[in-house]
Amino acid sequence: MDSHVFSITEQRTYVICLATNLIPLAPTRNQFCLEVTSEQTNIMAATQTSGDEVVVVDLRSDTLTQPSPLMKQAMVEAPLGDDVFGEDPTVIALQKKVATLLEKEDALFFPTGTMCNLVSVLTHCQQRGSEVILGDQSHIYLYEQGGISQLGGVHPRAVRNLPDGTFDLHELRKLVRSDNVHFPVSALVCVENTHNVAGGKVLPLDWLDELGATCRQLGLPLHMDGARLLNAATALDLPPARLVRSCTTVSLCLSKGLGAPVGSVLAGPEDFIERARRTRKAVGGGMRQAGILAAAGIFGLDHVYPTLGRDHRLLQELAKAVEACGSKIIRCDPQATHTNILLVDCDLNVVTPEALCNRMGQATQEEVMSLGEHVIVQMLPITDTKARLVLHCDVTPNQVQSAARKLRYVIKELDSDC
Amino acid sequence: MVRMVRLNQGLMRWWCCKSPHLRMYYQWSPPPLTSSQEGVKHHVVDLRSDTVTKPTDGMKKAMMEALLGDDVYREDPTVSELENRMMHLTGKDAALFVPSGTMGNLISLLAHCEHRGSEVLLGDLAHIFLYEQAGMAQLGGIQPHIIPTSHDGTYDAKELVHRLRDEDVHCPRTTLICLENTHNKCGGKVLPLSWIDEVGEVAKLLRLPVHMDGARLMNASVASGESASRILEACDTASICFSKGLGTPVGSVIVGPEPFMYKALRLRKVLGGGMRQAGMLAAAALYSLDHMVDRLAHDHSHAQMLAQAIHQNGNKIASCHPSEVHTNIVVVEVNPDVLSPEEFCNRLSVVEEGEKSAVGDSIIVKVLPWTNTAVRFVTHHDVSTADIEAAAAKLKYVIQEIDKNGCECCVFADYQSEAERNEALQCRRGLGVEKSSLGACCRPHSVNDAQRRLFEMAYVRVKIWGNHSTLTTVMSVRPA
Repeated sequence: MDSHVFSITEQRTYVICLATNLIPLAPTRNQFCLEVTSEQTNIMAATQTSGDEVVVVDLRSDTLTQPSPLMKQAMVEAPLGDDVFGEDPTVIALQKKVATLLEKEDALFFPTGTMCNLVSVLTHCQQRGSEVILGDQSHIYLYEQGGISQLGGVHPRAVRNLPDGTFDLHELRKLVRSDNVHFPVSALVCVENTHNVAGGKVLPLDWLDELGATCRQLGLPLHMDGARLLNAATALDLPPARLVRSCTTVSLCLSKGLGAPVGSVLAGPEDFIERARRTRKAVGGGMRQAGILAAAGIFGLDHVYPTLGRDHRLLQELAKAVEACGSKIIRCDPQATHTNILLVDCDLNVVTPEALCNRMGQATQEEVMSLGEHVIVQMLPITDTKARLVLHCDVTPNQVQSAARKLRYVIKELDSDC
Repeated sequence: MVRMVRLNQGLMRWWCCKSPHLRMYYQWSPPPLTSSQEGVKHHVVDLRSDTVTKPTDGMKKAMMEALLGDDVYREDPTVSELENRMMHLTGKDAALFVPSGTMGNLISLLAHCEHRGSEVLLGDLAHIFLYEQAGMAQLGGIQPHIIPTSHDGTYDAKELVHRLRDEDVHCPRTTLICLENTHNKCGGKVLPLSWIDEVGEVAKLLRLPVHMDGARLMNASVASGESASRILEACDTASICFSKGLGTPVGSVIVGPEPFMYKALRLRKVLGGGMRQAGMLAAAALYSLDHMVDRLAHDHSHAQMLAQAIHQNGNKIASCHPSEVHTNIVVVEVNPDVLSPEEFCNRLSVVEEGEKSAVGDSIIVKVLPWTNTAVRFVTHHDVSTADIEAAAAKLKYVIQEIDKNGCECCVFADYQSEAERNEALQCRRGLGVEKSSLGACCRPHSVNDAQRRLFEMAYVRVKIWGNHSTLTTVMSVRPA
């Protein structure tokens, strides 16, 4: 396959509709890498010169959200200070706000969710030879480059995730280590809500409560990777504090559905946050006038959080569009679509997730004629058999309808090709 | 009766000399304003660091208007533009935007030292060694090997040869050489270009890469008149800060060869530095490259003005050599027989009675204790010439005052209440310790405790004087 890897030194013209053809580099699928085939670039080039108006619907991730003009206004008007000296009033305000929202004692602002999780695990696991129990499909385990081990010497113990994002609590108990010279020391349990790879699933509240009770009995702290916690809270129509009641610490992203350009917050007990501040500095997360970023987070919490329900509803439209096709090749379950993430199953005999994403990222002439518009939908393959679509505040209802039409067309095309 | 006792001054001196550089200056903070001072409008001149700089209006406008994308997908055009610009500015093949200088250095160290059992050669006063929480060891398993630093920020290049490890099962493997320019701990010194080139030659001979912690590289460039690429010619990689003198709110860039930068990209992600729409921050950095570099010369001349102001006051209490001030940092030695750096910082951060009329304004100068015997002043774009003149006037007044009255200064200790603090003030007045005294009092049963804490802190002289009926006046430092 003729492929062309973008290197950092290359002069890149910024093409608004950058279709990514995601080719897994190695047996590990799920790589968000930047290989673009030359066929792809040719198609894109052709598209650009053809003069059609292209409707690009970018559903690769909610991390793509950009700050709105009002959010930017809030950012530049925010009072600032040096956050390493603890003097940035906007950062302090954001931290207080999140601590209050989640009913934890204190909170700490980070540049990314990855750092939030990393610092949380490292701060929980201060002792050499620590082990953390976490789901085998969790983001920390799969997509954080093994940071907790690489940098922190913490050993992960994976428990099998069930399709709904939970895991068996009996299995959890079995994985807790006893005191033995052969064993590391179990120090932490991690859980993820909403669960990304499971398809943005909201963890059942009663299961969470039971997990909390189990951890308390086992004497283990519980950390929640709540990157999309507010999507979960919106779906359940509950205050987020209720969802994290049993959790010792929680990480919450501002740069995803809430639309902020950068940032995450870790919330937990005061003494924990004090120690986390040190770890944050060691990994290089001590930013200076970070209030400019925190202001966007505050805006997101105030103005975008209340609109997350819209993202969920719009995604249901897409899910229903797929379901209505009745295809055996491309399937999804709207009932199992809890929040803003849709997983679409592919029959591997006919089409792989990669091929589906490629196809959705292109538009044939017949298609344009048939639909009456030139639509490109960007999405990502997420497992060997599934592709993922993520809805967010930058996607308009019109774009969703265009995307739905295109999905129906492509599914019909695949069905008829068989 | 006033009884001034210098307690165990010998012991204190020993403590003071023991570890002159192990000061956690970030932990020090000035005493709270007294109730008479609160609410008064002060002219505050913040010279603690150039990291306190805030973005200008032009910079904010650039941030608002920046084109954005997801930088984890490498789709943020403004970040790309900045990285391209920095590549060309420094003459390196690739660049990467990171949230902080600490992360820039850490990534560089981890990327250079990929294999277990690596060792890095660097100066004993390097920021990487002193103030990055031993990140290279803590997170990377890398051993630092320090070389004594000269007062000008350099070290003996021959030491690199002497300290190179043999290939031996007992030894880690020397993997990297680090430099720092400008050198912070040595007072913002610009490394001589000839020395950098010499280190480069030695490194080539030893087949070792060279990394420059160029947090204030642009200050070095402006002060020396040499371009950034010329300064970095002998270096493989460098980390350059935008959030200091260049005034941006957040961010640093690392530069180096392409294969290195791919590793750096991965390390940035695992450390949690993969920000999303980071273009807003990159836009501020681009703006600073156009508007904030040349003006660093003003910061340097402001630093000279301060140095002159101190130098002209007799050098008995506080001294510095203007010729040692290369850029925007002034390290001022304070006479340890008279006062400690904390006391000096404290005194500068309050306005005593009578001072306003003598100086002409109510001025507060914020600075940081730097070593056991020195204080650091840093100029930056948020400090104007008028601010510097005010700071100079205050310095002159304070130095003369201390010269005349001596300094029984200290910071306020843990008062239980406002009432107790007022009582302490009364107590000090009653003891005849008035002007230039920021006294601290504590209950008699906690005197030993205070003394012990002070010995542990190891950098404060202790005087116990007076024995008021309920309070004993002790000179102490506010707990960090």
